[in-house]
Amino acid sequence: MTATTTARPALATDGRTRRRTPARDFRTTRWGWAYSAPAVLIFSAFVIVPTGYTFYVSLWKWNALNPAMSVYRGLGNYQRLFDATQPTFLSSLWHSLYFSGAMVVGGTALSLALALLLQRGGALLNASRVALFLPHATPMIATSMIWVWIFNPRFGLADWMLHSLHLPTSQWLQSSTSAMPAVIVYSLWHEVGFTTVVFLGGLAVLPNELSEAARMDGCSAWQEFWHITWHQLRPVTVFVVAITAITSLQAFTQFYQLSDGGPVYATTTLSYLVYQEAFVLSDTGYGAALAVVLFAVTVFFTLVRRRTATGADSALT
Amino acid sequence: MTASSSRGVRSLIRAGRAGRLARRVLALLIGAAFVFPFYWTVVISLGRPGEFSDFPPVLLPHWDWSNWSRAWHAAPWVRLFGNTVLIASGTVLLCLATSLLAGFAFGVLRFPGRKFLTMLVLAVLMMPGTVLIIPDYVLASDLHLLNTYWIQIIPWGASVFGIFLVRQFFLAIPQEILDAAALDGASRLRVLWSIGIPMVRPALVIIAVNVFLGSWNSFLWPVIMTSSSMDSSSTVQPVEVGLSTFASAEGTDFPGLAAAVTFTTLPVMAFFLVLQRQFIRGALSAAGGVRG
Repeated sequence: MTATTTARPALATDGRTRRRTPARDFRTTRWGWAYSAPAVLIFSAFVIVPTGYTFYVSLWKWNALNPAMSVYRGLGNYQRLFDATQPTFLSSLWHSLYFSGAMVVGGTALSLALALLLQRGGALLNASRVALFLPHATPMIATSMIWVWIFNPRFGLADWMLHSLHLPTSQWLQSSTSAMPAVIVYSLWHEVGFTTVVFLGGLAVLPNELSEAARMDGCSAWQEFWHITWHQLRPVTVFVVAITAITSLQAFTQFYQLSDGGPVYATTTLSYLVYQEAFVLSDTGYGAALAVVLFAVTVFFTLVRRRTATGADSALT
Repeated sequence: MTASSSRGVRSLIRAGRAGRLARRVLALLIGAAFVFPFYWTVVISLGRPGEFSDFPPVLLPHWDWSNWSRAWHAAPWVRLFGNTVLIASGTVLLCLATSLLAGFAFGVLRFPGRKFLTMLVLAVLMMPGTVLIIPDYVLASDLHLLNTYWIQIIPWGASVFGIFLVRQFFLAIPQEILDAAALDGASRLRVLWSIGIPMVRPALVIIAVNVFLGSWNSFLWPVIMTSSSMDSSSTVQPVEVGLSTFASAEGTDFPGLAAAVTFTTLPVMAFFLVLQRQFIRGALSAAGGVRG
């Protein structure tokens, strides 16, 4: 582009415009920023500036009722992260990573399997696809209430199913070891329809030639999937992994309504702890420090995604 | 995996009527399993009192509607539904306007600072809701916006996903079409209004249905921003927050709560089922990411 401009300075500097529009240049305007201003103002006021403000608040013992009474603590709130008070920061970080890891691995594998099952289907397979997507479209707060009953160890469907299959039953949300797996089961039910549709979209645009060639060469269905389909789906998989990791790190409603962060803090994740410290215990400064750590973890995952992303989202950047 | 067993997998998946039938049956069973929790909720809501705690669980409804009327009269549901519809519609309108203008700017116009503003909007994707809830609460409190409709609409009135979806649609339009209109002397806003909007309409539909649903289903934001708006006659809380309050007040009345879950979820479910094609298209174009 620079080469063209220097070689033929008479042309418009813009690479897209081949020739100058005779009447006037429609696309080039000094006022372009004004069109983006409403969106940029909303983002600045409620996203970009507040993110910086979180850092600021995290340096204070913040007084929510009267900010003027706040006491400067420097990095004191960050030092407190490693205190042994319950629930500890490290345990909640571990719960966040446990939940996100299980959602990424389980959600990706499950939705890929479901997409392979439902691809190129007729009316019936399309109906199943809608059924899978339905939980994702319905509110988490309402569906979490349903799953509290499903996980009830006295009369719930989950234990009834295990019981009928002669498998050992579980205390689900009422035991600190099985509570997190229960929340993961619920979250997979709620999220997997979305990622399945994303995989279906990826499968629908795959070129057929390679698979056909592989079949001609006598590849088994498994070999064909492993060496060809899975490989071609890589950009979609990267996108699904990234979006699942980021939404799981932010997950809040299911922990609030299903398990209330318990029992014995077993499902207190970092994002639940931010809420708990800032809005229940009114320790806004400490909550902000936790939020900054959560932000750092999210940015880390986003940057890893940027570095590894190939085709799928390069259209955006 | 040995060659013979994988050939077995292959024949099961790809070839033969038996394989195709097995695939259909499996898909049907999985689909049914995903919908079953909703069905069971309806069964509980229509069951006789005390029946919900039977083991094995009751799986057929008894059509006892008393739970529904008890739950319906226990909270100002009409007001709560009205709030949700108002907040969701306001957010959709604002989002459509901001996405259309910014998508037009980033996709069509050339201006100094365009790259910077594009990167700024993309950076928003990295700044997630849980992190923002503390400073935004402080901000809303300073501006006296707590317990208002405004704080539930304006902050969500711009969407990175929406902006980039509109931008993609504008990039796909042949340049000559917009330029030809400009040659006729139409202003940029005029071109955007009478030629741009019809051409990006599919994007606008996807944005509208997804933002509407996202607003309807949101919880953390409204529960924090309207926490002291409990007075039932003038509450600005949306229906999901009302449901959560109802659940903590009437937690032991399972059939009543099941009824409330059912009648608060039915509208949003119907909305999804009518427009499911748009949602599935939205999921396919979701590479733009989802905020909050």
